[in-house]
Amino acid sequence: MAKPQIDPRGPRFGAAITATALAVTIYLGLDASTEAAAFALLLVLTGLFAIGAIFGTSKHPYAWLFKTLVRPRLGAPTELEDAAPPQFAQAVGLFVAGVGVVLHLAGVEYGLVAAAAAAFVASFLNSVFNYCLGCQMYLGLKRLKVIR
Amino acid sequence: MDQTSRLLLVLGVITLASILGLIWRTMQGRAKLLKSGLQVDLKELGATKDGLPVTEFGERITFLQFSSEFCATCKSTARVFGELENHSSDVLHIEVDITNRLDLANKYNILQTPTTLVLDRRGVVQSRIGGAPKQNTLEEQLGTFVI
Repeated sequence: MAKPQIDPRGPRFGAAITATALAVTIYLGLDASTEAAAFALLLVLTGLFAIGAIFGTSKHPYAWLFKTLVRPRLGAPTELEDAAPPQFAQAVGLFVAGVGVVLHLAGVEYGLVAAAAAAFVASFLNSVFNYCLGCQMYLGLKRLKVIR
Repeated sequence: MDQTSRLLLVLGVITLASILGLIWRTMQGRAKLLKSGLQVDLKELGATKDGLPVTEFGERITFLQFSSEFCATCKSTARVFGELENHSSDVLHIEVDITNRLDLANKYNILQTPTTLVLDRRGVVQSRIGGAPKQNTLEEQLGTFVI
């Protein structure tokens, strides 16, 4: 059976938006007066990661943005990629952002900022360097029996 | 926290991520010599090619590529090796999906995919390439095996 295919530039475009939003989250989370805004933003990002992780990146709002605004200006992609690896990356993002939400609710100081920074590094590497979380982490996590 | 400190911290995180990315990109796709002398067992690999089991190594060199399910760069890597293979008859490319073959992942100590083992004509591991191979890495490897 053929695996669903996507334009590989779509997830990188999405990761750029995510990285920018996470940088803003870090900035807002560092000061008590804007911490609530940072938390709200992280909640939104967690929700977006959940959409990508559960329904796949093609159902993600950024995919729609990419399709309507960006792709018509870029032309056809030279090659297509499997849809599964970016979906795995979204699941990792959901986990890290979720940890940030929990830490914040538990009152851990800078827990939100730390989680946002970790998620920022991953989405920044994904967007700028075409770093693929699934390639780097999936097998290791499986060998460590973190995932089945 | 004042605005300047916050901006500096955000810039610091961006800088850190950039440095990590540059290091990662430099390390990816380079061949590392292995002196283990490990002999690859084709039966144990259970590799197939065009639907048939692989029973022989390449006459000069074999690229044994390990892939997994959530790997975006595995496909393009397989294509590059496929082109090499089509170009010269003594080069063989084998791709093995180890998503459900943790025994192989443990045996060959595979942490990331694609990881490619470069084998000589007897199937002994000579070097390993982590990630999508760089063009000059491939040329070096092929050059090493000129008879």
